[in-house]
Amino acid sequence: MTLGTLDRTPPPIFKQGPSALSKLILFSALALFLMVADSRFNVTRPMRSVLATALYPVQWLSLQPVRVSREVGAYFITARQAQSQSDAASQTLATQAIRATQVEQLTLENRRLRQLLDLREQLKVDSMAAEVLYDAADPYTRKVIIGKGMSQGIVLGSPVIDEFGVLGQVTLVHPLVSEVTLIIDRDLAIPVLNVRTGARSLAFGDVGGGGLELRFMGSNADVQHGDLLTTSGVDGVYPPGLPVARIDRIERRAESAFARIHCIPLALVSGARHVMVLQPQSAQIPPRPAEAEPAMPVKKGVRS
Amino acid sequence: MIMRSGQQLLLPASPVFIWCSLLVALLLDMLPLGRVPWMPDFLALVLVFWNVHQPLRIGIGLAFMFGLGVDVHQSSLLGQHALSYTTLSFCATMIQRRLLWFPVPSQAIQVLPMFLAAHLVELMIRLINGNSFPGWTFLLAPMLEALLWPVVSVILLVPQRRAPDPDENRPL
Repeated sequence: MTLGTLDRTPPPIFKQGPSALSKLILFSALALFLMVADSRFNVTRPMRSVLATALYPVQWLSLQPVRVSREVGAYFITARQAQSQSDAASQTLATQAIRATQVEQLTLENRRLRQLLDLREQLKVDSMAAEVLYDAADPYTRKVIIGKGMSQGIVLGSPVIDEFGVLGQVTLVHPLVSEVTLIIDRDLAIPVLNVRTGARSLAFGDVGGGGLELRFMGSNADVQHGDLLTTSGVDGVYPPGLPVARIDRIERRAESAFARIHCIPLALVSGARHVMVLQPQSAQIPPRPAEAEPAMPVKKGVRS
Repeated sequence: MIMRSGQQLLLPASPVFIWCSLLVALLLDMLPLGRVPWMPDFLALVLVFWNVHQPLRIGIGLAFMFGLGVDVHQSSLLGQHALSYTTLSFCATMIQRRLLWFPVPSQAIQVLPMFLAAHLVELMIRLINGNSFPGWTFLLAPMLEALLWPVVSVILLVPQRRAPDPDENRPL
């Protein structure tokens, strides 16, 4: 048997390197440090960007089987399905055409009225289309990754919508991809307006997953099953009037001052493929006027 | 050189094959299969395998680096997979001299507690960080990983089981 054909080599006697325990302590401490730095101080963003760019080829490769299977599936779609989809699309188009023709007239009317009232013009919204690459495979949070990043001009905090409503917000921007936290993630809050009553409130992602919750609404608040919630536009992020959710279930409990209001998001939170990334509104909003000197309260008994 | 009786003499492992298998495992982990709590972690499995079979090549530091990569991909808290893989790799280093004395099915039973510990470390970090509990099905993941251990042992040792002197009658 020739030399070098056996795997078994005797373990080194002297050059052992650091022991496994010391390595464990070192790397655990490093991991803990990274976790604290990531969750408390937000200093790991450049490191994440570098790693994400390095991982991009592997990610791209892992997405190819899915892309191919989608394309093959789309190729074998039957003619009947295609026909029915086309029928449905033309029906939607017809219903939307009525509104679209009204929009022209309404915009004109609205502009004239605003000029009459001397109000500020409505803000313009710039948008960019993007494709959802994959759901973050993390069973604990609700995030998706979209295929546009810093190099295409995505800004941190931009709202993301699909064809039915608000989907979420960009929470992390890498050079080539960015991460969108969905509105049903429990860490995301969105200011909403009840279209029927005009009351503003905040919707949070539901802890149970799959829905939204309107918090801090009194148990006697005027909300009904089926109310539409849209963005209120007071936050400087979301443009006003985008549909967000519909109220599904209201539990008024005697022991609590607040009602528990469960809503269903209108956007396709688990199946969106093509999304629009909007510019955040804060860039267009004029800065707050400088704080005036607080007027000195007149003291009692002092006569001038 | 003391070995378990009946164990086959193996060829040296090629570093290229080790790295390719790690990359393929990373690819398998990255496949967009949706959010399933019981999805087995192929990368952890392959890392432990090489840590047991080639402790001089694949160690704790590499496991840490791969953990960081997985964290970035899943956009989870930076460092949680790194910590879990470091723990896993440490346990693997601790038992690697003993483990190879057992037949492969017994090895699968011995690696089960390691995988369970790694998943529990991850769960603990999530819960401390304020994430919600993903459901009890996540306990299936370490079991699936242990069940995959014999499969991985066969696949990853194939190149080392070739004949040292291939000829026409024995091409492989």
